[in-house]
Amino acid sequence: MISQEYEFFTPKQLAEALAILQRLAGKARPLSGGMTLVPMMTLGVAQPEAIVSLNHIAELDFVVETPEVIRIGAMTRHRTLETNTLIRRHLPLLSEAASHIGDVQVRHRGTVGGSLAHSDPAADYPPIMLVAGARMKIASAAAERWVVARDFFKGLMETDLRPGELLIEVEVPKLAGRFGTAYQRLHRIEGNFPIVNAAAAIEQGFRTARFALGGVGDKAILVEIGQPLRNGLTEAALQAVSEAAHAAAKDAPSDLNGDGHYRRAMARVYAQRAVKLAAAAIPAN
Amino acid sequence: MKVAIEVTVNRKPCRVEVDTRTVLADMIRDQLRLTGTHVGCGTGSCGACTVMLNGRTVKSCCIVAADVNGQEIMTIEGLADDPHHLHPIQESFVANHGLQCGYCTPGMVLSALQLLNENPHPGEAEIRRGIAGNLCRCTGYQFIVKSIQAAAEQLAPKK
Repeated sequence: MISQEYEFFTPKQLAEALAILQRLAGKARPLSGGMTLVPMMTLGVAQPEAIVSLNHIAELDFVVETPEVIRIGAMTRHRTLETNTLIRRHLPLLSEAASHIGDVQVRHRGTVGGSLAHSDPAADYPPIMLVAGARMKIASAAAERWVVARDFFKGLMETDLRPGELLIEVEVPKLAGRFGTAYQRLHRIEGNFPIVNAAAAIEQGFRTARFALGGVGDKAILVEIGQPLRNGLTEAALQAVSEAAHAAAKDAPSDLNGDGHYRRAMARVYAQRAVKLAAAAIPAN
Repeated sequence: MKVAIEVTVNRKPCRVEVDTRTVLADMIRDQLRLTGTHVGCGTGSCGACTVMLNGRTVKSCCIVAADVNGQEIMTIEGLADDPHHLHPIQESFVANHGLQCGYCTPGMVLSALQLLNENPHPGEAEIRRGIAGNLCRCTGYQFIVKSIQAAAEQLAPKK
């Protein structure tokens, strides 16, 4: 039982949800899978005055492709990202990441939009959104706008979303045709948040290369490494990746899972692993 | 705030008046009196509250009851066709010592059902991933894995 009273809305249309969010801007919280919000309410940590459930808005649950991108509705469940054939084919690192979130029950209910909007600094999706150059579609009752992933994640559980706005879609460029990609995470217990995670994407011919790290700051960090990798995966290039990861993780936090020094050391290891695997996965022309 | 919702529970339609602050696990236990669904942590970690929602396992302590209006719930009580028989997965847990105190068992059995529905011949690693959301503090998991392996052999169409 949740102790704090709140108003509870279950709109079936997006427009209706946006109207409520506008009317109660700053007071209402959107509820997607609830895998974080409901326990927080049970514990009394979150005490919203109103809840707008998005679970009945069918138009927010979709995975479709265009020639260039995969469009994913915000209410698409993690389990769908894990198993969907379009995502597995064009963004294998994204289905890999989804498969590590929580456990089967959590993946059945939790959503991609909920996870992104929650903006946990060690969440599985943000490094992938950064290396893929994804963009987020944000709606309010008044307007719609797009924000690139780099500008969407602002800090510790902080995003570019303003009161009354809702993340409704994420659009991720299809990487598998031109890029080798990989996702790696360090965890001690199945289903836990990663201690450090890393995604990498390397273009054919090493034309562009980047990796992103999570768990080592207040948000995921994108690092461009096209220059050191221009001659391929040499010893010097891997050393440069390691140094870049260590530098990017300079503000790595300390907690029970590991102190900042450990996370910085692991940032080196996981960035290198992700880059090596991505290089090995570069598709032939 | 009270709302009336209509749900199908173990294949029977029913109408429940719920406080919007009630989580699904509490509605199932306290209002429907189906006490096979257990509440351990109340925050989505232990899996004792696992039920099927529209045919997929979920943690019912992390779902607002008022949010499942119009949907289909199956609890452990709905697994066997009649109350005098056990489902083959339940029988397998009994035969293979897959439970001691029994607190995690309803959730374990439903997670096993979910796994075997999708993967009739799971390997040990796949079984362990399938029950990763269910904590057991008695068995050390060995006999649970064995129970699910034995149930798979019994249920699966022969290769």
